[in-house]
Amino acid sequence: MELSDANLQTLTEYLKKTLDPDPAIRRPAEKFLETVEGSQNYPLLLLTLLEKSQENVIKVCASVTFKNYIKRNWRIVEDEPNKIFESDRIAIKANIVPLMLSSPEQIQKQLSDAISIIGREDFPQKWPDLLTEMVNRFQSGDFHVINGVLRTAHSLFKRYRHEFKSNELWTEIKLVLDAFALPLTNLFKATIDLCSTHANDASALKVLFSSLILIAKLFYSLNFQDLPEFFEDNMETWMTNFHSLLTLDNKLLQTDDEEEAGLLELLKSQICDNAALYAQKYDEEFQPYLPRFVTAIWNLLVTTGQEVKYDLLVSNAIQFLASVCERPHYKHLFEDQNTLTSICEKVIVPNMEFRAADEEAFEDNSEEYIRRDLEGSDIDTRRRAACDLVRGLCKFFEGPVTGIFSGYVNSMLQEYAKNPSVNWKHKDAAIYLVTSLASKAQTQKHGITQANELVNLTEFFVNHIQPDLKSATVNEFPVLKADGIKYIMIFRNQVPKEQLLLSIPLLINHLQAESIVVHTYAAHALERLFTMRGTNNTTLITAAEMAPFVEVLLTNLFKALTLPGSSENEYIMKAIMRSFSLLQESIIPYIPSVITQLTQKLLAVSKNPSKPHFNHYMFESICLSIRITCKANPDAVGSFEEALFMVFTEILQNDVQEFIPYVFQVMSLLLEMHKNEIPSSYMALFPHLLQPVLWERTGNIPPLVRLLQAYLERGANTIANAAADKIPGLLGVFQKLIASKANDHQGFYLLNSIIEHMPPASVDQYRKQIFILLFQRLQNSKTTKFIKSFLVFINLYCVKYGALALQEIFDSIQPKMFGMVLEKIIIPEIQKVSGQVEKKICAVGITKILTECPPMMDTEYTKLWTPLLQALIGLFELPEDDTIPDEEHFIDIEDTPGYQTAFSQLAFAGKKEHDPVGQMVNNPRIHLAQSLHKLSTACPGRVPSMLSTSLNAEALQYLQGYLQAASVTLL
Amino acid sequence: MPVVHEHGERMKRFKNKGKDTAALRRQRVEVNIELRKAKKDEQILKRRSISIVSLEKSPSPAEDKNVIAPLSLEEIVEAVNGSSTALQLQATQAARRMLSRQKDPPLNHIIELGIIPRLVEFLARADSAALQFEAAWALTNIASGTSEHTRAVVEGGAIPAFISLLSSPHMHISEQAVWALGNIAGDGPLYRDALINCNVIPPLLALVSPITPVGFLRNITWTLSNLCRNKNPYPPLEAVRQLLPVIICLLEHEDKEIISDSCWAVSYLTDGSNDRIQIVVDTGILPRLVELMGSPELIIMTPALRAIGNVVTGTDEQTQAAIDAGVLAVLPLLLRHTKPAIQKEAAWALSNIAAGPCQQIQQLITCGLLPPLVELLDKGDFKAQKEAVWAVANLTTGGTVEQVVELVQSGVLKPLLNLLLAKDSKTILVILDSISNLFLAAEKLGETERLCLLVEELDGLEKIEALQTHSNNMVYRAALNIIEKYFSGEETTALQPGSDEEGLYNFSVEKQDFNF
Repeated sequence: MELSDANLQTLTEYLKKTLDPDPAIRRPAEKFLETVEGSQNYPLLLLTLLEKSQENVIKVCASVTFKNYIKRNWRIVEDEPNKIFESDRIAIKANIVPLMLSSPEQIQKQLSDAISIIGREDFPQKWPDLLTEMVNRFQSGDFHVINGVLRTAHSLFKRYRHEFKSNELWTEIKLVLDAFALPLTNLFKATIDLCSTHANDASALKVLFSSLILIAKLFYSLNFQDLPEFFEDNMETWMTNFHSLLTLDNKLLQTDDEEEAGLLELLKSQICDNAALYAQKYDEEFQPYLPRFVTAIWNLLVTTGQEVKYDLLVSNAIQFLASVCERPHYKHLFEDQNTLTSICEKVIVPNMEFRAADEEAFEDNSEEYIRRDLEGSDIDTRRRAACDLVRGLCKFFEGPVTGIFSGYVNSMLQEYAKNPSVNWKHKDAAIYLVTSLASKAQTQKHGITQANELVNLTEFFVNHIQPDLKSATVNEFPVLKADGIKYIMIFRNQVPKEQLLLSIPLLINHLQAESIVVHTYAAHALERLFTMRGTNNTTLITAAEMAPFVEVLLTNLFKALTLPGSSENEYIMKAIMRSFSLLQESIIPYIPSVITQLTQKLLAVSKNPSKPHFNHYMFESICLSIRITCKANPDAVGSFEEALFMVFTEILQNDVQEFIPYVFQVMSLLLEMHKNEIPSSYMALFPHLLQPVLWERTGNIPPLVRLLQAYLERGANTIANAAADKIPGLLGVFQKLIASKANDHQGFYLLNSIIEHMPPASVDQYRKQIFILLFQRLQNSKTTKFIKSFLVFINLYCVKYGALALQEIFDSIQPKMFGMVLEKIIIPEIQKVSGQVEKKICAVGITKILTECPPMMDTEYTKLWTPLLQALIGLFELPEDDTIPDEEHFIDIEDTPGYQTAFSQLAFAGKKEHDPVGQMVNNPRIHLAQSLHKLSTACPGRVPSMLSTSLNAEALQYLQGYLQAASVTLL
Repeated sequence: MPVVHEHGERMKRFKNKGKDTAALRRQRVEVNIELRKAKKDEQILKRRSISIVSLEKSPSPAEDKNVIAPLSLEEIVEAVNGSSTALQLQATQAARRMLSRQKDPPLNHIIELGIIPRLVEFLARADSAALQFEAAWALTNIASGTSEHTRAVVEGGAIPAFISLLSSPHMHISEQAVWALGNIAGDGPLYRDALINCNVIPPLLALVSPITPVGFLRNITWTLSNLCRNKNPYPPLEAVRQLLPVIICLLEHEDKEIISDSCWAVSYLTDGSNDRIQIVVDTGILPRLVELMGSPELIIMTPALRAIGNVVTGTDEQTQAAIDAGVLAVLPLLLRHTKPAIQKEAAWALSNIAAGPCQQIQQLITCGLLPPLVELLDKGDFKAQKEAVWAVANLTTGGTVEQVVELVQSGVLKPLLNLLLAKDSKTILVILDSISNLFLAAEKLGETERLCLLVEELDGLEKIEALQTHSNNMVYRAALNIIEKYFSGEETTALQPGSDEEGLYNFSVEKQDFNF
């Protein structure tokens, strides 16, 4: 492509089309640009357009297209063609900096990004003059240009903040420091001087402060890896100026916006970060400056308002104090009682107050409020920072701090008592203060696990928390109600059990509160209380203790789901699940109503599933209802099927992907509850389960395999008789699964069930094919996982069909196949088999091969007899071999066909462990001894001679132990 | 890139599960690039001899002028190149005075005069001891400058001349020669070896005797230490064998500067491959070094700690020799030292001992090193904390389950987790590796859940969660890995109901594979 007007014109046309809302016009234009972007001069045409085009949209569009082009093509990947002509590369690097600097801001940003992408590849070696070119612009005096340079520098250097130290990186940093540190320092000083000369010029100040922010950010990047000599020598300049900027205020820079942080806040916030960096990493050198910063930051906190726009600054500043006050050698800065009092009074307490913004979130954005307050995603909030400062101060000053705050708590509670409806926020702050003071360690599962002993939690609970919750009006002071419930929740391990029991009816009552936060907290608190462990690993609160409340609990929980805003409230659904699990058979009387409500809910949410946790707990609750009821009355399974199948059918018909794996699990559970032959309703569904479309989704595979296993367990005969034509389809599923390295174990689960349960005649014609398939995988792409499953399968086959049948079918596929599998797979790999049942199957199978397979005694296979026995003894006695070849590390990922609905295992649909040899063999060692004894009586003398010639001494010793235990001797 | 390599090695180890302890030991990392100021606690490479006379007697330049008429540079050149011994002496002295003044000695000017070859000639002028002395002093001071300056002296032919002067009957002249040679040796391995090849060692060692005055002996010791100094290449083995017995004698001296410089010498000799370390270990000097490590004098403690720190980077046997010499009894004091540089060096040594076999780890525990280690992690200077983190990582990698438990019981978790806020990606990664190791141990004990709770209680969980957004890929992946492996299953464990339904919740093994 030549740099011609005609080409510029064409390009302009196409760029314009890429902005068209109509995809029919837009897409071809995008395609066209992609096809020409490999041409020489293409990037230069774009640069020309973004500089010279008459239309602003084209300029902007060209700059964005240019940046994306650079992003896609600049990097030279090994073994791939260079996608940009060398001449174009040179021309771009020669022109882009001046072009960026002379462009309007919108385009400047794009070009600045492009420069940093190029810089990441080419700087410093292949772009040696970039730095000088940039630094020279500092002299220009034009702050539009200077800010462009600073922004570019920032995007080039910010990686110094996270990369590992290396000679390559440090060489680059050193180069940058040599060229950049002094000019940056001079620019910093000059900019500060200009700020005072232009102190009354708002628009100039804005530009200058933008520069200062960028300079402060560059300082952070350049000082991150280590303290550079230059900055150590110039610490006085930088720190003195940073310090004075922290204390600076200028009306002209204050913004009216309450939410968005202004330039002044952003700058001060970055300075706090810089000071924190030095305090953490270069303490020795920074020590002389630190006290000044502590004072300045503390004054800053005292004078900064409550508006949201100051949040980041305030939390950064508080975190700085929190990190410093924990250091032993700065203890003295905080030690004085007046200092402590003043920090508590002026920094901590104000930042713990419930603000208008919090109140707004409490009412209108409850979900976000709960997430922050309950799940600890409050790291950047003021309250959290204040809380961290309390904990930091308590490290050295627990007594005095507790004392100071006790006074505060009392006075705030008194304020509240005077006029609750006006002063309720005082009580909120008091509760928050007690909580942060008392909690020294906390987990989601147990609440507070270590508390400040100076705080009497139970007394506070009885005097100030319970009364609020006992109040007859659940909707009064919702924030205080939420505080009280949260108090129970987090201090549940500190408050005595009798108090918790007294609280339960109160919590149940608050499930009716209108406030989403309040009834959510009540549900969550109940759920947490029900999971508490007492002695003997039972629940702390027993079903018997809950007996008086069962009805009201269930009623209120389900009613809470009808409150506005909570129709899919996961906390409530989880509480329902947990209540079922705790109450067990006491819920049976309520099941008819419960299951109706659950199915209605299921029907409703299946229209548009949006809350995965809610849905999960809903299915868990359904499973629990089934389990608990059918345990007492197995015949009840029919009524569940009646209630659920209609909804399930609808889910399957509408292909509600999120729910299908759950439906299969519930169906498995139901089917397993049947004691007799499989009902016809299930059989009608059977062919549909073999539909390939279902098996294409990864998330369906485990539950579908489980369901098919349940079919085989309960209905193998029915399938053989009434659906024999579906057997190939069933085996087709097996074949599909076995082909995948990720899913082959699922294929084996299915195959094992087929072998175990199907009448032999029904699968007879397919057996050889099955083995051939397995051998192919073994030959072409074996993995450790495959081998483990394979070993279990062939031994199960041996147990079921006999060792001779196994040998015959192997050798019918290929002569001497049986010997090869013994020698190459079974003997060397058997040690890898894991799992008790799996090992047992293998032990019994191998015992059969050793003792019930004549060719092992009188053909060339005989030489494998002792090695096989040795391997079996190894399986009994040696630790499991869990090594995996290096090349297999990433196997599980490689075959997984992308992200699809992940499989969510339902805990309460859990399957019993199944031991197919359980009845036949109890102790496999004894079984081996007895079987060997039997063999030796059949051919006296042979067994002992084989043992004595080649079994190793240790194995022999173990074997003698088995024989003794079985009280048999070999003849 | 030693760091990248270092980590590569470590990752490889995790995957192969092999416990290659040698790879855990970290040599004094040789960074070719330094961003920091040159270290203040290093031994001085070159020294200038400042004129005490002028310091004492000439507070003002006017007074100095009265003593000796100042010569211009031209006059100096002329006189030096002339034939009058008296003028030569006067001019050489004038040059020496300029070179000895406290501020801005005109090294470059004097070199540009081109008089160095003449000054070297003067060194051989046995007829005028004064001229020899002044020339030696002047050259000493020129050699004390930059490498350029030293080169000018060496290229003027000064090496053989100074070596001859070592045997001068005048003690002050041979002392000056020792000093000059020290400066030349301190320039780097090239000139150090040039001196050794010119056979500097025998006459130098001959100067050491019971009657050598302390001041002179200090100079000799310093020069000897410079002959031991620098790597790439190391000083020749033969030279080391000659020097070592004398240095070891000097370590027993009572003068603290002599002890200090001999310690520095040993620290250089041990800063290298294991065979270099072995030569020092074989002399049986480790107990003395360990004793000196505990000295209250910073100038002795620092190099002694360095030397021992180097020894424990060696083989397990060499490390054992240091342990047998009592290093573990002294380290606690040093880990608690007020100077950050000492803390750091001590922690580095500890991290290398922790990289040893579990018997050595056991000794480390028995000698009570865990409490000071934990203290250091909690309150130490950042540089020392970084080393302490490595110590923890090594201990959790090579220690037995019981030893790891002991480490946890010493309270390592809280400070370790706090350091996840460190502004250093590498340190964070090493901590995450240590946490993974702790979990592996906990799994073996069936205590995973307890460790999970402990980590969460100590605010570690939220820190690890926050690291999932870290810009460094390896950090982010390590954090994600821990979260996925140990902290994502809150529900499945919590979902297990009470004791009522016998066996129903006993998941079969295949269920574990269900995880997609």
